[in-house]
Amino acid sequence: MAYGGTGKILRVDLTRASVSVQEFGEDLYRLYPGGRALAGYFLLKVPRGADPLGPANALVLAPGLLTGAPLSTATRFTAAAKSPLTGAYGESEAGGYWGPELRMAGFDAIVITGRAERPVYLWVHDGQAEIRDAGHLWKRDPEEAQETIRQELGDKMIRVLQIGLGGENLVRYAALVHELRHYNGRTGMGAVMGSKNLKAVAVRGSGHYLDLAHNPQALAELGRTLAKKVKEHPQSWDMQVKGTPMLVGGLNAAGILPTRNFRQGVFEGVDKVRWEAYEKELLTARRSCYACAVRCKREIAVNDRYQVSSSYGGPEYEAIAGFSSNCGVDDLQAVAKANELCGRYTLDTISTSSSISFAMECFEHGLIGLEETGGIELRFGNTDAMLKMIDLIARREGLGNLLAEGTRHAAEVIGGDAHYFAMQVKGMELAMHDPRGKVSVGLGYAISETGADHITAFHDTLFANPASITFQSAAPLGITEALPARELSSKKAAIYAVGENWSSLGRVIGFCYFGPAPRSFIQVDEVVSAVRAATGWEVTVQDLVRIGERATNLARAFNAREGFSRKDDTLPDRLFAPLENGPLAGVGISREEFEQAMTALYIAKGWNPETGMPTRDRLKALDIEWAADAMEAA
Amino acid sequence: MRLHLGGHLAWYDPQKRSWLELPLPDPTSLVELVRQLRLPEGEIAVVAVNGRAARLEEAIVSDGDRVELYPPLGGGS
Repeated sequence: MAYGGTGKILRVDLTRASVSVQEFGEDLYRLYPGGRALAGYFLLKVPRGADPLGPANALVLAPGLLTGAPLSTATRFTAAAKSPLTGAYGESEAGGYWGPELRMAGFDAIVITGRAERPVYLWVHDGQAEIRDAGHLWKRDPEEAQETIRQELGDKMIRVLQIGLGGENLVRYAALVHELRHYNGRTGMGAVMGSKNLKAVAVRGSGHYLDLAHNPQALAELGRTLAKKVKEHPQSWDMQVKGTPMLVGGLNAAGILPTRNFRQGVFEGVDKVRWEAYEKELLTARRSCYACAVRCKREIAVNDRYQVSSSYGGPEYEAIAGFSSNCGVDDLQAVAKANELCGRYTLDTISTSSSISFAMECFEHGLIGLEETGGIELRFGNTDAMLKMIDLIARREGLGNLLAEGTRHAAEVIGGDAHYFAMQVKGMELAMHDPRGKVSVGLGYAISETGADHITAFHDTLFANPASITFQSAAPLGITEALPARELSSKKAAIYAVGENWSSLGRVIGFCYFGPAPRSFIQVDEVVSAVRAATGWEVTVQDLVRIGERATNLARAFNAREGFSRKDDTLPDRLFAPLENGPLAGVGISREEFEQAMTALYIAKGWNPETGMPTRDRLKALDIEWAADAMEAA
Repeated sequence: MRLHLGGHLAWYDPQKRSWLELPLPDPTSLVELVRQLRLPEGEIAVVAVNGRAARLEEAIVSDGDRVELYPPLGGGS
């Protein structure tokens, strides 16, 4: 019976230059139905203590259960491996077209191990795979590499997932990119790919998702219903018209737009970098991911103060805040240039910009000087210095070589108070969301297996007003009490835990963060309907929440095996100190309240509050007792 | 007065405008203005008047003010 999956995993051993197909039947897929669930399943089989940049690490590329279905926002795939940035479980999702294409090529995932002797790329098409020479592609920009691969394989529609210079040079927060504008940005998956001498994974398939679905008619009908809803729902309409750049003005007004390395929450130059300026100075078009009617991707062109290639897409909110307010830069064209450079070099815009704002603060405090920067006045607001540093990081030259290791390591080398300026958790830099104004984002930064990730759950603001559409749409998940955005309590921890499981579910089945409620327009019962139509499984909301919870527990078990514990679930000291300006001036997070809420959170998740790790009972209840065995074997 | 309907608040304006120019002969209660414009109060999470944070229920606005309203903002890529 059709259930949405192909039943096949492509296994690639680059050391042996071999490819094989592993059968992965419906019974297993029910437990690990794509995305981060499949990633957790395979990563727990990586030898404990493996070098993230060594051949034993596995790179898992896995579309979600619904990825490729004709449903708006069901486009995502997971890239996962042990992270070279954190040493912990690493994971990053991207939308776009590559995930659907892999499903159409006949695979539920690719698991890549080993290390090729020379640069290679992988060519996957309709159930077949081959390893091909990439000597002529190494050190080539993604744009050129993509064009070359398409030409030599004779198909312009091939989807090329690849690394640029940052990945080849093993920058520990290097990203993956496909179609030159869809990024698996976080946790350094590009460095893992680079360490394997793997330039690209090119995919083409002629299959159709509906041929894999249990009830294709129902799925197609739901897809049409959702597409019509996009313009009728305020949140999806907003994403289409403005996209994520609209966050800049609102977060600044709320006093939590990260500014000058999170010292401040209000940026005096905000009017030059907010959405209205973006629309006027940068925007040329709106684009979509596969079969998505939201169309939240921005296309840009700049031929003015800076020359910005239109090939790598427009900056999202995270890149705008990271390279503008958080570096003290009020030039949106420079931000667009920074975003283009990160695209060209395949660098995570969050960690790259945060590494630079960290270095700017170190420079202003005299912890590094002109000798270390190579004569660059690396001060907040110095636009040219910021852009130069991106080049140096990608090339691993001068100070860039140190910053390419991430802020945690760089702070250890610089010494003094530098650790205070490193805005990271478990080694991964904070996204551009300040938990001092929405505290459960801080719970997420702390507890996330990957480090400071902002989409582990839903931000407090969505549940602060009982009359809001976001709060009301969360009722089917069991969120029934509105709490102030800055309340840090056991009740807030309970809401976080519910949201975390639901968000995790999205990353298992392939929905974008901007699809399902409470963040946007696809209601909880519609998510259930989609899974039922695709699989034929008579699942409930509770069943889906358990799928999300299971995936998180697999990631947690991976970290337990690597020696992580509650002590690693913390926040940078700066977040416990007050903001310097704006409506939240003087506000910091209470350490006591934070620790109490974390204890409540572990208990809510069925974990040991002393170690912060899953209990055997909880893992057994989630049908993954083997993960407890894996943890204890360590 | 310039009124900004941030984020998806602009969806509630019949013309989907993000910025409105409103003549205000006299100082006016902001919440009354919001009701006149048929904006959903439950969707207004952040208010700023001339760049300073304000409370919807308490703010009095005048001609020449720049008023910004934002919905709950939930993060993203």
